[in-house]
Parts: sequence; structure tokens; C-alpha cells
Amino acid sequence: MAATAEEDSAVKEPLDLIRLSLDERIYVKLRSDRELRGKLHAYDQHLNMILGDVEEVITSVEIDDETYEEIVRTSKRQIPFLFVRGDGVILVSPPLRTS
Amino acid sequence: MSGGGGAGSKTPADFLKSIRGRPVVVKLNSGVDYRGILACLDGYMNIAMEQTEEYVNGQLKNKYGDAFIRGNNVLYISTSKRTMSEGA
Amino acid sequence: MLFFSYFKELVGKEVTVELKNDLAIRGTLHSVDQYLNIKLENTRVVDQVKYPHMLSVKNCFIRGSVVRYVQLPPDGVDVEVLHDATRREARGG
Repeated sequence: MAATAEEDSAVKEPLDLIRLSLDERIYVKLRSDRELRGKLHAYDQHLNMILGDVEEVITSVEIDDETYEEIVRTSKRQIPFLFVRGDGVILVSPPLRTS
Repeated sequence: MSGGGGAGSKTPADFLKSIRGRPVVVKLNSGVDYRGILACLDGYMNIAMEQTEEYVNGQLKNKYGDAFIRGNNVLYISTSKRTMSEGA
Repeated sequence: MLFFSYFKELVGKEVTVELKNDLAIRGTLHSVDQYLNIKLENTRVVDQVKYPHMLSVKNCFIRGSVVRYVQLPPDGVDVEVLHDATRREARGG
């Protein structure tokens, strides 16, 4: 593919969505009920990523022994710099862009 | 109707080509559904969608302006009913 | 190749590797290969109460595929270099 423009802003393939999010804060949904929000510093075609200023949210659901009600718990933690292995990624969403 | 995607498509690849820009439902292996406009997709079934709504057990859980879905999680892509009746 | 190159630069630094089974191991990065398999030295398990059987493990080889996260040292992240490398990688394929 002959890229004429240096920084082509068109989305021709799905990974372009990620490319346009470099240096932006993104939302990442991972397997095992984990979510990350952080600034995207690097990625590759496997969706391996390096994120900065990361907040991780882990959601767990417990069943109350007596009422059998579902209790949804979330735990949060902050991580300055994080490498994320791509095989755990389900969904990536860039920041809302005003186009 | 001999199968295919309502756009006279023959192979799965033709179907995938034909549904760009159409409203779709993407079901993941986890059972979660994503409804939105299919922007594009690649050979790994990585998907870019717009105006995406996330449904868990049929309930709307989240909305994303743009969403990238990693292909390995995809169970199927379906054109939503609206499109089928409108469609080509 | 981007992350293989990146982790090679990180050799000798302290990292925390979090596995998909929730075990987190801190140690000095000894080496890495193209699959992002990782060798750690001077290891200690972050939650020693939960994993007492790991107390005697002083170094280990971690298969890349079982890694969920690697917590990176702030002085091991040059944001500008990463951006440039990522753009080069995106162009290359």
C-alpha cells in the first residue's frame, strides 16, 4: 500500500483505529473481567501494548449465601507503566473524538 | 435464498466485504453482543465498529463511539434485521 | 519485534510479571526471547502469604503465553522512543 500522506487519518483497517489512538487515553476490555484505562504509548499487531498512568478495574460477582442476591464488587489499582499481553484483549475503545 | 448475506454474496469473504458500513451484531465467544455500524474488518476478523452498544444477557451495558474488537473473540458477525429488510 | 527489542533494552531492571493465574512475581529481568518468554532472577512472589510454596524459588523461566501484564520501571519507558518505534512497526505491517 502506497501511503501518500505521512499521517493518514483514514480508517481502512481495524488496526488504524488503534494507530490513531497513539498517545491518547484509551479503554481496554480484557478477559477475566478486567478493564484498563491508560495512555497508549506502544502497540503491535497482536495488540500487545504499553500503557501509562493506568487504572485497572477488576469486577467480581459474589452470590450472597442467604439471599442468593448477586453482589458486584469492583477493585481498582493504579499502575504507572504497564505492558499488556495482546492475547487477553477483547475490545479497545479510543477516546471520544469530535470529528 | 441460498444463504449468504442478503447482498447476493457467495463466499464468506464476499459476505464480509459486502457488509461494511452496515448495522451489524457481533457475538463474542463470551456471549456478549456488540451492536453498531461495521467500519471495517481484516483477515483475523479484527473488527472496527462505530456507535457500538454492548449487550450482556440482552441488557445494554455500555456504549462506545469507536470500538476495536480483537478477532479471536468473535463467534459470529450478523447483519441486523433492520438491514436485511432494507438490504440490496 | 517491537516488544522483543523493547524488553531486551530492559534487561537488568526490576519488573513485576503478572501471570494469567494471578501469580505476580517480581525480579530482575535476565533475558527475553522472540516469544516474549522471560527469565527472571532474584525473584520474590508479591503475595507470599497466598503462595508460600514459591518462597524457595529464586529464579525462573516464564513462558510468554502465560503472562498477563508486566509492570515496568518508570525509568525504563522512553515515551518518545516507543511512539517512533510503534509508528515504524505500523507502517511495516
